Amino acid sequence: MRALIAALVLGCTMLITPMALAESPPEPDTADSEAQDAQEDAATERATQFVGVEGPEAESVPGGALMLAAYAIVWVLLFLFLLRIRGLQRQTAEELERLSAQIRASEDR
Amino acid sequence: MSGTRQSGSSTVWSLLLFATLALFAATLYAIFIVAPVEQQMGIVQKIFYFHVPSAYAMYIGFGVSAVGSAVYLLKRDPRWDALGVAGAEVGTLFCLIVLLTGPLWARKAWGVWWTWDPRLTTTLLAGMIFAAYLALRSMGDAGEVEKRFAAGLALFGLVDLPLIHYSVQRWRGVHPTVITGKGGGLESEMYWTLGLSFIAFTGLAALLIWARASVERQREESARLRLELMHR
Repeated sequence: MRALIAALVLGCTMLITPMALAESPPEPDTADSEAQDAQEDAATERATQFVGVEGPEAESVPGGALMLAAYAIVWVLLFLFLLRIRGLQRQTAEELERLSAQIRASEDR
Repeated sequence: MSGTRQSGSSTVWSLLLFATLALFAATLYAIFIVAPVEQQMGIVQKIFYFHVPSAYAMYIGFGVSAVGSAVYLLKRDPRWDALGVAGAEVGTLFCLIVLLTGPLWARKAWGVWWTWDPRLTTTLLAGMIFAAYLALRSMGDAGEVEKRFAAGLALFGLVDLPLIHYSVQRWRGVHPTVITGKGGGLESEMYWTLGLSFIAFTGLAALLIWARASVERQREESARLRLELMHR
């Protein structure tokens, strides 16, 4: 009988103690949750598709001016690079001509 | 024999030039007439058709520079060094175009001119590495040591190129992923316009590298003659 009572006490202790010690699940931290939401928003806000417009469009930032500036930059930079190549070519050709003349002159001596 | 090769080379050059000009005309028509205005960003999205192929041309330039530099380090042939210089210059030109046209789009799309996004930062880094290469090579007549050091710098710059390409996928950023990501991509007209622009910019990059390498080879020849004259 004593053994039975002891077993019951032990069993109850083993059942009740973990339940008593168990903590209720922590309340979700609102700051962490907001940070996670913000990260997910950043990922979903990244453009993953370009879609053609339907109907009239209204823009606050002057997109047309920005676009024209971008295309102007491309053409101006390309033109300047071509001018640089042309300048280098002319300069090198003149120097080659001068050096060849000097070599010919030194051979004639 | 040399004259025949020069004539053939000149014909290829002329054909490439004509094809590139025709492609640019077709690309501009497609950008402004065929491709629709983007729904969210409006007309400023059309920067995309020159911005992205410029980035691609930048890869070509820097890639050619790295290959030229690697072969120069192995063979010490000045023709490969000339290719390295030409690639670096053309790559830097297109890098500058990318870094200037991007902020104009970003001002409209993101509300800021610049942000330290991984792709923007790695592109700036590549530009700075190859600008250092060009600064090193522009200091008078580069000697053998300068050429070898610059070649090493070009190979170091090459490491940054995959970082630019995959940064947008590997790290969180705000740069669009319409081509490289898993997004909805482009509308059909936008897709073909971009494809046409890619081909036109490939031709342009090839022409510019060709022209610049040709001038650099002449400069090498000039330096050689100067040395020959000094030793007489």
